[in-house]
Amino acid sequence: MKLTIEMEDRPRNLELQRLAINGIEQNGFWRGTIDGEPVVFEAHLLSPGVLSLIVGNSAYRIVQEESASDPALHVDNHRFSYSINDPRSLRFRRSHGAGAGGPKAIKAPMPGRVVRVLAQKGDEVQAHQGIVVIEAMKMQNELKSPKAGMVVEMRASPGDTVASGDVLAVID
Amino acid sequence: MTFKKILIANRGEIALRIQRACRELGIATVALYSDADRAALHVLEADEAYRLGPSPALESYLRGDLILNIARKSGAQAIHPGYGFLSENADFAQACEDAGIKFIGPSSSAMRMLGSKTRARQAADAAGMPRTPGSTKALASLDEAFAVAAQVKYPVMLKAAAGGGGKGMRAVSRREDLASAFEAAQSEAERAFGSSEVYIEKLIEQPRHVEIQIMADEHGNCVALGERECSVQRRHQKVIEEAPSAVVNEDLRHRMGEAAVRLAKSAGYTNAGTVEFLLDSHRNFYFLEMNTRLQVEHPVTELVTGFDLVHLQIRIAQGESLPFTQEDIHLRGHAIECRIYAEDPDNGFLPSPGRITRLLQPGGPGIREDCGIYEDWVVPMDYDPLLSKLIAYAPTREMAIARLSRALSEYVIGGIRTNLGLFQRILDDKDFRQAHIDTGYLDRLLTQPKTARPSHGAEQAALLAAAIFESMKSTGEQSVKTNGARAKDQDVAAHGWKALGRRDGLRA
Repeated sequence: MKLTIEMEDRPRNLELQRLAINGIEQNGFWRGTIDGEPVVFEAHLLSPGVLSLIVGNSAYRIVQEESASDPALHVDNHRFSYSINDPRSLRFRRSHGAGAGGPKAIKAPMPGRVVRVLAQKGDEVQAHQGIVVIEAMKMQNELKSPKAGMVVEMRASPGDTVASGDVLAVID
Repeated sequence: MTFKKILIANRGEIALRIQRACRELGIATVALYSDADRAALHVLEADEAYRLGPSPALESYLRGDLILNIARKSGAQAIHPGYGFLSENADFAQACEDAGIKFIGPSSSAMRMLGSKTRARQAADAAGMPRTPGSTKALASLDEAFAVAAQVKYPVMLKAAAGGGGKGMRAVSRREDLASAFEAAQSEAERAFGSSEVYIEKLIEQPRHVEIQIMADEHGNCVALGERECSVQRRHQKVIEEAPSAVVNEDLRHRMGEAAVRLAKSAGYTNAGTVEFLLDSHRNFYFLEMNTRLQVEHPVTELVTGFDLVHLQIRIAQGESLPFTQEDIHLRGHAIECRIYAEDPDNGFLPSPGRITRLLQPGGPGIREDCGIYEDWVVPMDYDPLLSKLIAYAPTREMAIARLSRALSEYVIGGIRTNLGLFQRILDDKDFRQAHIDTGYLDRLLTQPKTARPSHGAEQAALLAAAIFESMKSTGEQSVKTNGARAKDQDVAAHGWKALGRRDGLRA
C-alpha cells in the first residue's frame, strides 16, 4: 500500500507491503519505506485498537482512539493526531479551503447546552461581542463574534444540545 | 446502631468509593441516578437503584426532598452525601435529622457554624487560631470594603461567604480596582450560591495550600490525620494533592493539627472534616476555611495513615468511638494523587464530555485508581468533569513521583480529551520535583512552552501503526465483499492472537 499520512504537522509518505520469504507471506510482518527510508516491522492486534508493534527489537504499545473524524494514536505518553491524506477528508478541506473574508461561522468549541443567546438574527454586532453562551460540566463559555458585521443566521436557542463543531450562528 | 443499608446521594467515582466501603462492612447500598446516569458504574455496582429525575443536577442529585423519600422507601438508615451536591447543605442535613435518617457527616448546626466562611472566621478567632487578616462579617457596603482593605493593606482578596471552587473570588491589588471587583464578586456569588455576601481578607502572596484532615466521633474525641499539600491548582481547583507536604515538619504538623482539632471541638464538630490553611514563605499558617465533608483527595491521607476514612465515617455515624488516639497516628511513606478531568489542556481546558472509545487502566505496585468510568461510557455534560483519581504510594516522594509517572504512561483514555498529558508535564518539571510549589505554580508552568517532544522511534511507530490500522480498515471492507477463506488469510495482522497461536502450534 502507498499512502500519505499527515502527522505532527507534516506529510509523510509510506509505502508498505507484507513481507514474503520465498513467496510465502509472513504473518504480521511488513517491509517498506517511510519517506524513502527502509523499514521492517511486525504488527499484531491484541484487542480492538491495541496494536503491538516491533520495529527492529524496539517494542511499542499503540492505542488507537476510535474516531472517524479525528483519528489519534497514543504511543509512549504522546497523543499523535493524524489524517490519512484523502482529498475527501474533513481535515483536508479545512486546511485547503476557507479564505479570510466573507461570512464567518461561530462554532461550538465543545459539546454542551446553549444557556443564553445574546444577539438575534439581523443584529449589528462588534468584533469580540458575545453572541452565544454554552455550558458543559459546570463551565460556561461565551462565544464571541469573530468580526464586526450582521448576524445573518442564528441557529442556537436556549436549551439546545450542541455537538463540538456545530455552527451556532453566522456573522457577515 | 449498626447500619444495614446506606443510601449514597452521589454519583461517579465517589459513589463507587463509598459502595466499596459499605460492601466491605457488610452494608447494603442504595444508588440514585439521573437520566444521564442510567448506565453509570455506580448503578451497576449497587444493591438497589432508584431513578431520581432528569439529567440536570437541580432536578436530580440536588433534590433533597426526592432523596429523602427514596431513603424512606428503601429503608436506608443512613445517607452518605459524598462531596459536592448536598454534602455541605445544612438544610439537607437538618431534613435528614428531622426524618430520623442518619446523615453521615457533621450535624446541621456544626455545618452552619463552619460552612459559612465568615462564621468560620469568627469561630477561628474564638478558638484562638491564626487566620488571614480581614473582615469576619459580610461587607455591608462598598465604603466598608474600602475601610477594611485600607486597614489590611493591598493586595486583598474578595471572597464569597458561601463560596467554593473559586466562585465569587477576586484578587484586588489596587484601591481603584476595588469597586468593580466588589460588584463582580457579589453578583457572581449571588448567581453561584444564592447569597451575595462577600468579605475581604489580606492576600497572602505565593502561599502554599496545606490542609489538615480531622476525624471526630460523637463522644468528644477528635484527632488530626496529618496534612495534605494541595498547592498545584488551576483557577482555585486542585489538580494534584500529596501527603505529607514536603515543607511541613513534625513540629509544624503538630501545631496545625492541634489548631484544627481546637476549631472542630469548639463547634461540636463530628465525623470527617478538613481544615484548610495557607502557608506563607516563612511557614506561618493562616486558617482559610473548613470543608465539612469527605474530600476528593482523601485517598492520599488513607495511604499514609493506613486508615480507611469512609469506614471510619460510617463507624462514627453508627455511634462508635474512634478506635485510636492521636498518639496512634503515624505517617508512613508518600502518596500523590492526580485528578483526571475530561478537559482539553491544548484547547483552553474546555470541557470534553462524550463517549470513551478506548480505556487502558494502569496497575502494578503502589497504584490505586478511584474511577467511575468504563470503555464505551458516555461522560455526561451535566456534571463536573472528574473521571478518575490516580494515586501512587511509595516510601519516598521521589519514588511516588516515579510510580505515578510510570502509571500515567500505562493509562490511555481515548475518544474524549483529558488532562493526562498535563500530569506527565508537571511530574517532569524541575520545580515540582523539588517541591518548589505554591498556588501560582501551575499557572506559571502553563505559560512556558511545552518542551517534551516524542522520540523519533515513537513517531515512526505511530506512522507505521496508522498505516496498519488504515490497511485493516480496507481489508475489513474487502472481507465483507470477498467473503471466505482468502479474506480471512489476508486479515492475519488483524487477529494477533490467532496468528500467535498458529506460530506457537508450529513450534510445538
